[in-house]
Amino acid sequence: MKTSALPILMLALTTLPAQALNLDDALKGLQETTQPSPTTQGSADAQPPINLKTPSREDEIRLGREITGNLLGAAPLVKDDQLQKYVNQVGRWVALQSERPDLPWHFGVIESEDLNAFAAPGGWVIVTKGLYRKLHNEAELAGVLGHEIGHVVKKHQLKLIQKQQALNLGAGLLGGTLGKNNQLVQELIGSGAEICARSLDKDAEFEADRIGVVLAGRAGYDAYGLVEVLQEIGHVGKDDSSVALLFKTHPHPDDRLVKLGDAVGNRLDGIKDGKLLAERFYQLKN
Amino acid sequence: MKLRYFGLALLLVPLLAIAESGTALKDDTLRVEPYADAKASGAIKRSDKVDILEKKGAWLKVKAPKASGWVRLLSVKRGEASKSNEVAGVLSVASGRAGTGQVVSTTGVRGLNEEGLKAAKFNEAEVKQLEGYSVSAEQAQQFAKAGGLQASKLAYLPKPKSAGGTSQ
Repeated sequence: MKTSALPILMLALTTLPAQALNLDDALKGLQETTQPSPTTQGSADAQPPINLKTPSREDEIRLGREITGNLLGAAPLVKDDQLQKYVNQVGRWVALQSERPDLPWHFGVIESEDLNAFAAPGGWVIVTKGLYRKLHNEAELAGVLGHEIGHVVKKHQLKLIQKQQALNLGAGLLGGTLGKNNQLVQELIGSGAEICARSLDKDAEFEADRIGVVLAGRAGYDAYGLVEVLQEIGHVGKDDSSVALLFKTHPHPDDRLVKLGDAVGNRLDGIKDGKLLAERFYQLKN
Repeated sequence: MKLRYFGLALLLVPLLAIAESGTALKDDTLRVEPYADAKASGAIKRSDKVDILEKKGAWLKVKAPKASGWVRLLSVKRGEASKSNEVAGVLSVASGRAGTGQVVSTTGVRGLNEEGLKAAKFNEAEVKQLEGYSVSAEQAQQFAKAGGLQASKLAYLPKPKSAGGTSQ
């Protein structure tokens, strides 16, 4: 349910020392000066460069906006205002239970029958209609969104981009000219929404699963919603194209269930009256 | 009379079909009640086939090869893993998801594969629309309240030290 990985890149990264992330020199002087409101930015507008070494909150949001805009170019939002509003209400409530309650969180459902979900830095979370179709109640939606929120809070995608940047610098791909506008952003995230097809490492996925369960529980939901979704996804055939990208970029649901089971143990036994809210769950119109 | 019994038998068929099969994801203890401190009634071993009889909170009542009892739901994978599109197709028919005409995308949107994502172009209008759906913290709190949701404290789960049952 989350998102992200780049098999080819990952191979290259495994040999990269952590020190390669020291981008001080390369990024010196690229601190932003003025920050336009995110809602008025177009991708073609000139903007201050993003400081990737120590990105500000606004840098993260801009980076995430660019990635999400590219993803929406591949699959647009489902044209159902009530659905989108509903998902934003659930998502924002779950995000409020995290360490970053004040990000301008955005949640959306896109036109795709694939089963997948994506997170981008700064609080952007996208779920496919195919995955939404698999859900039975609000607790399951909360678990899925909680997993993605976990990625954002732990900055998993951002770290992936930082590694990519280090790799590009090392290979001299960016040279000394780190663009002065969004050209730079595009260089950071690769072509289009390519980054959404990249894998995070497995531990990041397992960590996001643990966070998703806890955030849903904190929000008052049955904490096992995400578990139900993983069970469901595990029933989809490996050869089914709707899970091709998901299974390529994530550990198999069975592995995730086992890891989650090891982590949960008796730690959720104290939760009483977690809600499913099946009756309030918004039904897709088609 | 005979007819009546026949009708009863028919009613029972779907009830029997409810018992779902499952597979143990790890070795675990079966208990006589759905509580961690309930008396043990047996055990399951990873890969054991079980019948799932009942669900209660985070516990499943199962019938295993050698014993029956309650086990944590995270220790059991429900159903059989489907091995092919064929099986997935059968499942989606059973759940009423096939035949709606909506499963196969007719919107012309390509699948979210690597090529499609790579070729994607930034869509400002869509992002603006997405931003328009955002809700404030206050709105989210009202929404939670309307659903009877109450926030509570719950510690994050530590990373488990050892893999319980790495699946192969």
